[in-house]
Amino acid sequence: MTIAVSTGPGRPAASEIVRRLPEYLTIWVPLLLSAAHLIAFSLWTIWISFTPSTLVPVTGWVGLRNYSAVAASRNWQIALDNLLLFGSAFVLLSLATGLILAILLDQRIRGENLLRSIFLYPLAVSFVVTGTVWSWLLNPGLGIQKLVHDLGWTSFRFDWLIDRDMAIWTIVIAAIWQSSGFAMALFLAGLRSVDADLIKAAQIDGAGAIRMYRRVILPTLWPITITVIVIQLQFAISTFDLVRALTNGGPGIATQLPALVVYDLMFQRSLLGRGAAAAVLMLLILLAVLLPYAAWRYIQRRRAKHA
Amino acid sequence: MPITTTRRRLLAGSVATLALPAFARAQSAVKPRLTAISQWSAGSDGAAITALGKKFEEKGGVWQHSPVPGFTTEMMNKLRAQIIAGDPPACSQLKGPEIAAWSKIAPTVDLDALVAAAGYEKVVAPDLAKLHRPAGKWIALPLQIYSTNMLFLSKRAMDKAKADKTPVTWAEFNDLAEKMKSGGVAFPVANGGTRPDDGQKFEAALAGISPAVYRTAIMNLDEKALKAPEIKAAFAQVRKIADWMDPNVGAQHFSTNLKRFVDGDMGMMIMGGWAQGVLRNAGFKFEDFVIAPGPSDNGKPVFLLNADAFIFWQRKEPDLQAGQTLMAQLVMDPAIQTMYSQITGSIPVRTDVDLSGEGWSDGQRRTAAALKEAIASNQAVLSLAHNMAQENGMTAAMIDVITEYVKNKTIKPEQAATRLADAVEGAR
Repeated sequence: MTIAVSTGPGRPAASEIVRRLPEYLTIWVPLLLSAAHLIAFSLWTIWISFTPSTLVPVTGWVGLRNYSAVAASRNWQIALDNLLLFGSAFVLLSLATGLILAILLDQRIRGENLLRSIFLYPLAVSFVVTGTVWSWLLNPGLGIQKLVHDLGWTSFRFDWLIDRDMAIWTIVIAAIWQSSGFAMALFLAGLRSVDADLIKAAQIDGAGAIRMYRRVILPTLWPITITVIVIQLQFAISTFDLVRALTNGGPGIATQLPALVVYDLMFQRSLLGRGAAAAVLMLLILLAVLLPYAAWRYIQRRRAKHA
Repeated sequence: MPITTTRRRLLAGSVATLALPAFARAQSAVKPRLTAISQWSAGSDGAAITALGKKFEEKGGVWQHSPVPGFTTEMMNKLRAQIIAGDPPACSQLKGPEIAAWSKIAPTVDLDALVAAAGYEKVVAPDLAKLHRPAGKWIALPLQIYSTNMLFLSKRAMDKAKADKTPVTWAEFNDLAEKMKSGGVAFPVANGGTRPDDGQKFEAALAGISPAVYRTAIMNLDEKALKAPEIKAAFAQVRKIADWMDPNVGAQHFSTNLKRFVDGDMGMMIMGGWAQGVLRNAGFKFEDFVIAPGPSDNGKPVFLLNADAFIFWQRKEPDLQAGQTLMAQLVMDPAIQTMYSQITGSIPVRTDVDLSGEGWSDGQRRTAAALKEAIASNQAVLSLAHNMAQENGMTAAMIDVITEYVKNKTIKPEQAATRLADAVEGAR
């Protein structure tokens, strides 16, 4: 009490600053470093995207030529189509799978901890491993199709991996396997934090299980749903290792994704300028997802303050 | 107190011992040292460069090779990083038109005197020599040659087809494939599904149909030649080949299927000469397969050149410079080329090496003979799929079209030909 009076509000004593120095150092130094890193390299990439750089970065100005070359290339167009399909299918399906798993786990079943670990486990595996394992499972000559054939059902066909129209779905499958556990964990936390009084009140009013979920519990989950969607979307946009290990953009160039195109341009074709332009386009797509999310968060906070 | 003295003495003694070699080195001639990077880390390639390193050490050098496994482009990423950092390796693997492109971003070593001393120029194929002295001076040295369009025939598949004649033209190749198919060979063409693999099918087809069009269209990117009917015919031939391949290979490497090839489950393989090294390294015998030059419609062998080379980057350190001189001498030495090619299955760059002796396979002898004949009839051309004909950006744009065509059977040969010409325009 006496200390507060002597220093006055909002002006901590020198001793206070010294005492909290470790906290400031641990938070601000890494934060500034990573921010500088991020911003500096983003600006660097943006600059390179306007230069005629090929093998190594060079100075010079070519305006939007790199951008128009990337946008006109078949690889990039295929990559964008795939991103649209993969992004929406992956986000919706992993959301649905995660929610169903969470609701099922929420029924106070025995062995919940074990099951939760099993569903979360794929998240601990790197995408390269996921991609490689699924590339074997989905290979018609080695994996699931061969197994079913060997069991006797020889007309069975599951050759999406080598079917250029369906190959993108193999990436959806592998990505869902990998990350629906993550959605499940978030939803489960949400389900557990629903106000017990609300549930009791609904029970007293005679609501059945389905109705309870539809009308009472699920509506409280929507902030979590948005978080999951944003996290999964930014993952979908930057997917690289999974595709590289699973299909490597093939058959042919049927499963190209933007990140693969960036890598291909920069490191396979040694066209740094065009690669940088593709990377900047990817950044813009990401911003198209993240900026509305940030705006939504801002509005939410202001509303909470006023209320 | 006495203990401290002892320690101090010990310390002084060890410092003196450590400093001694450096002192001695500074006194006498420098010990040659070589920092090198390449993609050769495993299998016959790894064994060959390790053997080269041993020879380097026998001559008193210090061999510091850092392999970067994977495709050549992965090795290039390391090279790029080192060049940007101002610390290039004394010598690195690089080949084809990339030698010219990369020599513009960092200073290279002028090897003219060494090449003249070894009399190397006279024994190297002229088209190949040109790639290694892009601005008139030798800055890189080719080490070994492969043909990317060798035809490998499985003995067991030949037995199944009741055939014993090696196909010379594409028509004969197609006949044999049909015979194999009806003789019970599940897939008459063995293959992998990688991009270079698909590219090789196309270049083998086009060069076999017309080496002249291959030269103008693919090597010189002549607009008219890119619209020639031969291009369409080549795509049509590629479609036939693709229909005989196992569709399940996905993006696998060709080596995955070698056992099925030897077993006669797959019949023919259009692959570079390096497949011999891989087959031998996997434990298969020379009796299991036949190697012949790839199909050529005019009957004379067509040779799609792929040559590995070392480029030498300028360094100031005297020991590295001495190492570069020693390395250059070794690379041009016929005995070293013989040792290297016998391990990898390639043929020597030097056209004056005698392959009749022990340690060479019939396939290698045939390849070397094909090269001589092809040079004489102007049918030795540079491989597209293996980055010899064009720089990486152009190659990748063209292979995009080819690999999509191989995997998408709804694309017609004429469509593919148009797309190829468009891709070339777009990448120019």
